[in-house]
Order: sequence, then C-alpha cells, then structure tokens
Amino acid sequence: MKNKKGHRKIKVLLSKSKMDVHDRGLRYLARKMSEAGMEVILIRHGLIDEVVNTAIQEDVDVIGLSFSVGGHINVCRRLQQLLKEKGAEDKVTIVGGIIPEDDIIALKELNVAGAFGAGTSAEEAIDFIQSLN
Amino acid sequence: MFDEITKSKVQEFRRYYDKQYQERYRDRHFEGKTDGGIPIKPFYTPMDLDSLDYDDIGFPGQYPFTRGIYPIMYQSQPWVMQQIHGHGTPEHCRERMDYLASLGLTGYGEIRSYNIVFDQVCKFGYDPDHPEAGDMVGLVGVNMSTLGDYDRLLHGLDLKKTSVVLNQGIHSMVALAFYLTYAEKKGVSKEDIRGNTMNWLYKGWMTDLEMYPPDSAFMIMSNFVRWCSRNIPKWNTTNIVSYFAEEAGGTPVQEAAMAMAIGVAITEECINNGCQPDEFLPRFGFQIALGSDIFEHVAKIRAMRRMWSTINKERFGAKDIHSLQLRCHSQTSAVSLTAQQPLVNIIRSAYQAFGGILAGVNGMTINPYDEALGIPTDESLMLAMRTHQVALYETGVPNVTDPLAGSYYVEWLTDKIYQEAIKYFQKIEDLGGFKECWKSGWLRRELEESAYKWRQRLDTQEKVMVGLNKFQSTKHRKTEIYKVDPKVKDTCVKRIREYRANRGKENERKQALEHLRVACEGVLDNQKMDFMPALIECARAYSTVQEMCDVMKSVFGWGTVY
Repeated sequence: MKNKKGHRKIKVLLSKSKMDVHDRGLRYLARKMSEAGMEVILIRHGLIDEVVNTAIQEDVDVIGLSFSVGGHINVCRRLQQLLKEKGAEDKVTIVGGIIPEDDIIALKELNVAGAFGAGTSAEEAIDFIQSLN
Repeated sequence: MFDEITKSKVQEFRRYYDKQYQERYRDRHFEGKTDGGIPIKPFYTPMDLDSLDYDDIGFPGQYPFTRGIYPIMYQSQPWVMQQIHGHGTPEHCRERMDYLASLGLTGYGEIRSYNIVFDQVCKFGYDPDHPEAGDMVGLVGVNMSTLGDYDRLLHGLDLKKTSVVLNQGIHSMVALAFYLTYAEKKGVSKEDIRGNTMNWLYKGWMTDLEMYPPDSAFMIMSNFVRWCSRNIPKWNTTNIVSYFAEEAGGTPVQEAAMAMAIGVAITEECINNGCQPDEFLPRFGFQIALGSDIFEHVAKIRAMRRMWSTINKERFGAKDIHSLQLRCHSQTSAVSLTAQQPLVNIIRSAYQAFGGILAGVNGMTINPYDEALGIPTDESLMLAMRTHQVALYETGVPNVTDPLAGSYYVEWLTDKIYQEAIKYFQKIEDLGGFKECWKSGWLRRELEESAYKWRQRLDTQEKVMVGLNKFQSTKHRKTEIYKVDPKVKDTCVKRIREYRANRGKENERKQALEHLRVACEGVLDNQKMDFMPALIECARAYSTVQEMCDVMKSVFGWGTVY
C-alpha cells in the first residue's frame, strides 16, 4: 500500500470494543504487523466514535476492528457514516475475528475492504494491506 | 520407589534398547515435547519415578489429593454436565435451560445445575439502553438487568432443587443480590440457595478489559467472600479461573502456577480482612482448561490438586479437609477449535473431555462444535450433551477412580508439572505476588509470549491442527450458525424503560443506593463494612444493574488497567 505521503510506514489502528472479550488474536496481529514494518496503534473503545477520532488524529491508513462476540455489521455501518461525515473515507477498513461468512457481503457493501475470519493467518491480513493501492 | 531387582531389569532393558534401536534408527530422534513444551521421551520406566515418594501420589480422597478429591468419584456422583449457555432475553435463556433439562442435564444428586452466562452489557454494569451497549445486548449471554428478569428466567423452578452458576463475570455480586432477593420473594431462605458466583475480578489481567483497579478488585472479592461465608454457607463464592490463562496462550505449567497465584492472593486478602482459612476455602472452586495434549492436561490437573492442598495446609494452616480439596469445573479448549471443517471439533472436544474424566474433574463444559462460529445451535448443544452421556454410560472410563495412577509416564509428568509450576509460582511470588504481576503487566506479557510461540508453531507446521494447517478441505460445507433473535435489544430496551417508569419505591431506592455508597466506602476503609446487604437492599428497591454498578464504580474506581 502506497502511503499518501509516500515515505512513512503504513500506519494501522487496531481496535476492539472494551466489552468484547478474547484479544489474543488482535495482540498477535499487532505484533506481526509491527514486525512487518507497519506502525501499529492498539486501542480499546467504548463507542466506535473514539476509533474514528483516533484514526483521524493519528492519520492512520488502515482501521482494523476485531470482533469475537458479534455486532460487527452495525458497528461498521456507524464507522463508515462517521468517516464520511468527517471526510475520512479514504481510510481502509478491515475486520477480523468471528465473522460469519454470511455477513461478508453486507460488510463489503459497507466499504469494509477485507474480512479475516477465524483461522486466518496474520500474513493474510498483512499481505492484503501491503497489496492495496 | 522400586526395588533393586526392578531397577536392574530396567537397566538391562536400557542397554538392549540403546543397542538395538539406536542402531536401527541411527540419527532419527524420538524425543518429543508436550504441547506445552515439556521435553519427553518415547517411553517411561519405573526409573523415571525413582525420585518420587509414594506419599506424593497417595490415595484418592487423601492428602495431597493428587489422585482426586474422593475415593468414590463418578461411581456415586458423575461429573456435572455444566454446559455454559445464555443468550437473548431471559425467556430465550429459559427455553435453553428447559431444552438442556430435556436432553438429560443433571447436577448434584437431585439438584439440577444450570450454568448461565450473562451478556457483556450487564457484566460490565450497563443497562441495555446505555450507548456503549450497542448490539451486544443478549448477544453472547442473557441480558439480566432487573429483578423482573430473574422472575422471567426462573419462574416455576424449585430453587431448593436448583443450583445456578451466575456467570455474571465482573458483577456477579450484583447477580447474587438479585438472586437472593428473588429467592426471598419465593419464600426460600438464603441458607437454602445453592450455586456459584464467579467473583473473578482478577480477570482483567488476562483480557485487557475494563475493570476495577487491582487493589479495589481484591478488596471487593475478599469482602464478598467474607459476607457469603458467614451468611450463605452453602454458596460457592469464588471461581479461580485459569481457563482464560490457557485461552490467552498459557501453557499447562503457566496455567497451574497462575491459578495458585490467584488463589493465594485472594486467600491472603481474606485472612487480612479477618477470616479464618477454613471459613472460606471450602467454597472456592476452580475452572481449568482441558487442552489437546490429553496426558499433559491430566497431569496438570493432578499436579494442581497436589499444589492446592499443599499450599493451603502448609502456608495457611488449613485443617478442614474441604479446604484442601481442589474442586474443579473444567472446559474443553476453545482455542483448539477450528472454523474450518467444524464437525471435526466434535472429535477434538470428545478427546479433551476424555482427558477431563481421566483427571477426575468435578464438572465439565464440552464446547459445542460451532464454538468458533457463534453460540451453539440446538443441534450442537445436543451433541455436546450426548458426548458427556456416551462417555458416562458407554465407555467404562468412569468406573474406576484415577485410572491412570501408577502410569510411569503420567506419574512422571504429574510430578514434572508440579515441580515446574512450583518454580513458576515462586517466580510470581518473587515479583511481589499475583496482584503486583497484574499491575506491572508481567503476567500479560508472559501469556502473550506463549501465544506468539503457539502461533509460530502453527505457521511453521511444527504444530498441526487438522483442517487448519494440514488436511485442509477443498470442499466447502456450509454450517448452520445460530442467530440471536434480532428483536432482543429492542425488547430489553423497551422493558428497562418501562421498568424505570413504573417501578415505584423511589425513596427506598434513593436511600438504598446511598447505603450502597456508604458501604462501599466502608469496604475501602479497611473492610469495616460489607457491601452485600446494601446491594440486596438495592435489589429489593427495584434498582437496575447499572444503578448499582455505577455506585460501585464511582467508589472503587473503574477503567482499563493497561
């Protein structure tokens, strides 16, 4: 992925709701992304608004959300709405965790670029980000 | 432990083996490792038990309880088939409870036991209309926000013949206050109610959740234990859960050591607030992981029983036999399950459950095969129940207590894990004990490192998970995924708003919530008060879960620990 400014590292904001349990996968992904040369910020959020604010403040390229207890569709809908309102639609959104296959079409329609369900390797998500233009 | 003749026979065999087999296989190595990384040999002999004293193994039902906490185990009381469940409104959850009962769910003798998971929203102390609740209302647990919800969940059940596991995570004390109030309304006295609360406020270190800060958390936990021990003696107050340590990446040695560190930290806190060990230790229980390496997990559980009894006897001077017995609920490993070829999970979980039975666990949840995809369907739940039942009625395994006793390998491994876990436990102690290691993030980092190594082993195929990194299927079979009724959130929000508008008792409630604030401050002030009576008063005055939790959070502090 070519960064806007062309020179700095790809910057990724990874987040999970404070009420969503099991962060083993997300923390592993954060480490692997760092090892792959990305700059990673990992936060827990209450409202998804906090993610959007941090993403804009930190000028990240990618927002990665993790879900293990569901609720992803409405969260992603709200996320896209907020990104649009704040003129930040250029940020790429990816999701991971327990994402039922049936929901992937709905997520794509909500401008979610990639969905990485249970069993996906960190490399798949990293390769995906690096292949984006 | 063995005589000289046996020893010389073993030596003779070793010479034979070294000559014959090493010649045959030359450079090939057959030494391996357990899943948790303990180096192991291809076979074991009596010599491997040479340093072990027979008393370290002992007899079932006798100190140090390596061989189980009773001599007569499943022959009289089968493990409790505690399938965890909960979703939707209380009515949805009740439907599942009745369904499980129809599948043959049992409990302790005549007392049927339900293991009920509350939703994330009430666990974190929010009412369903809180903005942060989002779509999580009733999603992976049942929403229980008011006294009315307890009636919806439990109506018609004989509470004297019902045991409930109030899996309300952080705020299980609030759930208990509601439950006691409900029981009181049904004319059942608090001495007669049975069940468990989680009381696992130490859990934030494993999963990064919002939580009471460590010092407050331990004050709350020990205050709760003190009140329960003196007021509802049959209630199982505390669940020392190391399952989550395993789920977050911990090895069996780490899991065993961390469980002991948690147990010791709570025990010390309870002693500091004026309790005698034998007052409360008999009502502590454990929740232990059953992982994929069967013998390693059997050995871990046997070692943990030995550790718990030794620590409580030698360190705390406990005398009551029940203080020395590690009673454990166990759960098959969810991280071992795959979303790919999910039916294979039935086989995995059955093997893990087999390990649990060999280890002599007292209760068990067998994860339904669709755990990696969502909450269970009726069918996957039924298959999990049937896995229990086939094991109990068809395999013959439960006929004999601790059937692996005397196995050279299992006894060696039990002792090995015991020794390693003691060392690891000592390391935690040297770093200031569990609470300090929680605060510093040391425990969290240790688990993260183990989780990282685990994944590296998968990625390099050093560790095989069938269907995930080997034997992948090209055929795609669609699995039915359970969908929670989409109307749940609206129903719960509508209900709580109506409840608030129509409940009455305004003055009583105001007073009760004020009493709760004063009581919580009294807990912070050297444990001079108990918060449970005030919580019960709040429940009687129709407070909602959030109203009570807001008071507790405002006094004890609340936030993300790391």
